[in-house]
Amino acid sequence: MDALSGLLTGFAVILTVQNLYLCFLGSLIGTLVGVLPGVGPLAALALLLPVTFTMSPVGGMVMLASIFYGAMYGGSTTSVLLNIPGEAASVVTCIDGHQMARQGRAGAALGIAAIGSFIAGTLGVVVMTFFAPAIAAAAIRFGPPENFGLMVLGLVCTLFMISGSAVKGVLMVALGFLTAAVGIDVVNGRERFTFGSVDLSGGVELLAVVIGLFGVAEVLVNVETLTPSTLLAERITGLWPTLADWRASWRAMLRGSGLGFILGLVPGGGPVTASFMSYALEKRVSPHPERFGKGAIEGVAGPESANNAAVAGSLIPVLSLGIPSNPVTALLLGALIIHGIQPGPLFMTQRPDLFWGIVASMYVGNVFLLVLNLPLVGLWAQLLRIPYRVLFPIVLLLSVVGTYSANKNVFDLWVMLGFGVAGYGLRKLEYDLAPFVIAFVLAPLLEQSLRQSLVMSPDGAMILLQRPVTAFLLAASAVLVVLMFRKSKPGGGSK
Amino acid sequence: MLERALNAFWILLGAAAAAYAWTLGIVGPSGPESGLFPLIASLIILSAGVVLLVRPPARLAAPEPLPAAALARIGGVVAGLAVMAIGMPYLGFAVAGAITMIILLRTVERTSWAGSIALAVISVAAVLWLFGHGLGMVLPRGPWGF
Repeated sequence: MDALSGLLTGFAVILTVQNLYLCFLGSLIGTLVGVLPGVGPLAALALLLPVTFTMSPVGGMVMLASIFYGAMYGGSTTSVLLNIPGEAASVVTCIDGHQMARQGRAGAALGIAAIGSFIAGTLGVVVMTFFAPAIAAAAIRFGPPENFGLMVLGLVCTLFMISGSAVKGVLMVALGFLTAAVGIDVVNGRERFTFGSVDLSGGVELLAVVIGLFGVAEVLVNVETLTPSTLLAERITGLWPTLADWRASWRAMLRGSGLGFILGLVPGGGPVTASFMSYALEKRVSPHPERFGKGAIEGVAGPESANNAAVAGSLIPVLSLGIPSNPVTALLLGALIIHGIQPGPLFMTQRPDLFWGIVASMYVGNVFLLVLNLPLVGLWAQLLRIPYRVLFPIVLLLSVVGTYSANKNVFDLWVMLGFGVAGYGLRKLEYDLAPFVIAFVLAPLLEQSLRQSLVMSPDGAMILLQRPVTAFLLAASAVLVVLMFRKSKPGGGSK
Repeated sequence: MLERALNAFWILLGAAAAAYAWTLGIVGPSGPESGLFPLIASLIILSAGVVLLVRPPARLAAPEPLPAAALARIGGVVAGLAVMAIGMPYLGFAVAGAITMIILLRTVERTSWAGSIALAVISVAAVLWLFGHGLGMVLPRGPWGF
């Protein structure tokens, strides 16, 4: 199926009342999640994943994906009006966006952020439409050794991109592998690391891990210092950018779109990295870099475009290869598996309705989000009046519901609490939690590929070097590992 | 100090997990056994722990000691969730959730009793209505039937 006919199939799937409703609902929840500080897209996806169990896979995945890209739109509102990022990818928008609000130009900042997000999001999906099938077609001949090499390269790229200590990153990956090994070995039915516990025989629940690490731990970090914030701009006017704003922003939007898309493709990249790098790029190419930090509109247009384009980019490896590039796409991969779908290069040919339905929904979702974020921005601004002291107990209550709903097992609540406390402690000690989640989700697939590779070869592990593609992928991984440790300060310090 | 203790813990965890993985079998007549993958993971944890302990980062992560008020708030959140996990099977979601909310609002934000109870009842009712009624999720019921 070529890209255009695939896209038509996707629109036929998505243009039903139920799927359009779910796409709209996801966009609405995503914007809400983006707007409210302290609730990230990952925690929101984890909380709402059990809700999708009763939906069709298309409806469920469309809703989850729209929450992800919807959060990128909403995050800018909080950054501009409160100087607090609604979610991590909007941190840099605080710098110039809030300065613009202080100068009475909150409307222009929010308008350019929404329009830039729409343009970048749509461009990203257009490229995804043609690019993802090409990647999947190339990868369709991959066997277990190649899949193993690909997953190793994905994990190494993630480690290469993290900001902290490389050694700590490697440790988090291994810890993710070990945690995923708990439960019954699917190959021979043998129990591993369960110590006779019935609760552990089914393995450690993904939702309990993610909600603990990114929901409960986030609340613990936030309640440490509960500081009141001041909402700028009671009424927001002048949303449509002036001609001068357009002149200053259009190049930044295009650069942000390109950079964001490429960084989204790279494992470990994603919206957060994209927004930071776009800001740095805009400052570098600007003839007046001294304006940055004082309300430069390019400092809003570039990063906000970049984080939206990165979402489309980051969905390509997970949908075409089954390789997540960040924790959110790792959770989407987990959601696919929970819905009984085998991710990987064959996904597109085996479930074209689902793949193209998701792609088509992103075109529609971007339109929904533009409508939700431009005319309704005043409503979102009013939501920022909700104090965190009211918000966090509700987040915790939803965390309990989300975790419990997965297996109807109270034991999972203890797992969530344990991972929440551990995640809080590890964050304080500068451990990056993203590699843990990605490794935890990938571990069963990685182990399966490794064991299948070893079984199919009379030469044991040598098969990994005898297959040219695998050898190339592993050699590339080795080069990246060397570069990663050379970049690290002695002893695995910060890069 | 805390970071050094954690590094020592990684070494112990890696060693214990590697020893356990070994007992699961590494390679058998029909190929790799259940212990191979966990053994690799354990050895990586062990090695990384040794590296972090012997050659610590140039700048050790040393979180500033938390003020008593912040510690109380964190303790309140953890205690609230523990009460929820203990109480939910016996009291049901609604009552355990309301008690948890009151603990959180009283310990973390020191909201008034009346405000805490009102907010707890409204929040729990909203969550029950949305997830239990609207989305058809089965949440534990207490002896009172809700």
